[in-house]
Amino acid sequence: MATLRRLREVPRHLLVCEKSNFGHDKSRHRHLVETHYHNYRVSFLIPECGILSKELKNLVMETGPYYFVKNLPLHELITHEFINTFVKKVFSLEPFVCHCVSASLRIPPSLCSCCALTYNTNIDEDNTAALLPNGKLILSLDKDTYEETGLQGHPSRYSGRKIMKFVVSIDLMDLSCNLDSKKYKRISWSFKEKKPLKFDFLLAWHHTGAEESAMMSYFSSYRIQEHQPKIAVSTMTDLQCPVLQSSELGGKPEVACGAWELLDWLGAVFSDVELNNEPNNFISTYCCPQPSTVVAKAYLCTITGFILPEKICLLLEQLCRYFDEPKLAPWVTLSVQGFADSPVSWREKEHGFRKGGEHLYNFVIFNNQDYWLQMAVGANDDCPP
Amino acid sequence: MAVFADLDLRAGSDLKALRGLVENAAHLGYSVVAINHVVEFKEKKQEIEKPVAVSELFTSLPIVQGKSRPIKILTRLTIIVSDPSHCNVLVACTHLDVDLVCITVTEKLPFYFRRPPINVAIDRGVSFELVYSPAIKDSTMRRYTISNALNLMQICKGKNVIISSAAERPLEIRGPYDVANLGLLFGLSESDAKAAVSTNCRAAILHGETRKTAFGIIATVKKPRPSEADDDSLPACKKAKCED
Repeated sequence: MATLRRLREVPRHLLVCEKSNFGHDKSRHRHLVETHYHNYRVSFLIPECGILSKELKNLVMETGPYYFVKNLPLHELITHEFINTFVKKVFSLEPFVCHCVSASLRIPPSLCSCCALTYNTNIDEDNTAALLPNGKLILSLDKDTYEETGLQGHPSRYSGRKIMKFVVSIDLMDLSCNLDSKKYKRISWSFKEKKPLKFDFLLAWHHTGAEESAMMSYFSSYRIQEHQPKIAVSTMTDLQCPVLQSSELGGKPEVACGAWELLDWLGAVFSDVELNNEPNNFISTYCCPQPSTVVAKAYLCTITGFILPEKICLLLEQLCRYFDEPKLAPWVTLSVQGFADSPVSWREKEHGFRKGGEHLYNFVIFNNQDYWLQMAVGANDDCPP
Repeated sequence: MAVFADLDLRAGSDLKALRGLVENAAHLGYSVVAINHVVEFKEKKQEIEKPVAVSELFTSLPIVQGKSRPIKILTRLTIIVSDPSHCNVLVACTHLDVDLVCITVTEKLPFYFRRPPINVAIDRGVSFELVYSPAIKDSTMRRYTISNALNLMQICKGKNVIISSAAERPLEIRGPYDVANLGLLFGLSESDAKAAVSTNCRAAILHGETRKTAFGIIATVKKPRPSEADDDSLPACKKAKCED
């Protein structure tokens, strides 16, 4: 019977596993980290490690502040001033400098990228807005709001029998080039007069060579608060770890575990679950995949907040350099989990929430600079890139 | 995509219990609830009690968990007609001006649903309601709930179905995602089950609102009476006609 068949089905989920080496020219690791914009939790696990190195510790402490603004009207994000201060990357003037001028006059580019996401909004119930570092403002609106704003968008791919969700994408870089265009006037009219939308926003800003507190002073008329990401550290003793071989992504029976078995095990470790398959354990009967070894101690660090992809890139680079000196650990892992209520997962791929809103990726970095990358998404999501 | 709603919270005589019920609903994530007043239909003219005023219940509405908005409270009237000669399901679906037809779960349905009147009801915008709190209380009711629900699903194919709690106490209400999972047991698909707690509830509420409008397009709004001072500025012929 159809009902019984449906009850036996597992909610749809996708896991993409790939392996490569950091030294390869065509390695996609940087691109994939940089295009996953809204990161909620970053964790790294280092087996056979009791204390963190100074560089890693500094990086962890400097994952940067993020800001929380209450009741920010959406039209503030499309003003010329906001786009110029926070969104636009100022490109180097090198192409315009005459080739006879000496290289010492090269003007360094000032790069910045701003990321924003609405807070306390559920992607499957309410209107959500997100600002991506490439200058796109994505709005995920319900049917009533979409019809009231009068903006052009497209229906969501995961909307169900009746189309109830619409996605509007506004390119701020394009808008700022021509402020007198009809498009800008219409969007401005819609946000200021037709349907003024206000949200609580989480903001983060990556900048080089600019004032530290520019964001606090820019939004000083609204209630803006600065927050530091929460850092949780734990050292585990006698941890059962699966044995992995970098060349065997799918695992080899009796020799090494596969990529998805590792991801299951990692989830169990993060949830602080017993790995012994004890019959009287009420919570979990999970047991570590075989073959496995017992590691004397392992260091687990978790950073929670609104974390920019640039910081994660730096963390990944530092973890690659972990193996510059010989270490006991055969591999280290770096896991990143995205916000469940973000309207996009990677780049501008749509993200939704059916029964769960996971979109996460995990790096396994081996001592020979090989890596495994696992990307997982849930039901209402496009396939990871 | 619509906010989660529970359209059946039973209004007892105890305001404090009702308050606890609404606070629990807000805590679980429901953004809209409707307080249900149930009345038995009697032959002679009957007085229907006044609905509970929201201002009496709460001075400040509880905030929905995970959002920054307060919960929205609506009121609803349910009429139980026991005499089949007055009105049966066929009549209710095709002629009566109602928003919801409730499917009894306390006993095995004495009749089978037929496709024509159900289809007429779906076209008119009438929704079918299933309640789940009797299923929580008693195992026999559980069997009746599931079998009645499966009968309905075979005919209506999961369209225009809403699931609500009929809760009298705070412990009888369940979270929206759990209720969507319960919908799977009732024979709905995953997306239909989630719509049964969100989109279809919104449609039923809008259907109720359109009863005050002309064809759902034009609505009348009471205009505030202008004060005497403003009237003097306009010439007599331009003053709006207002009833005394």
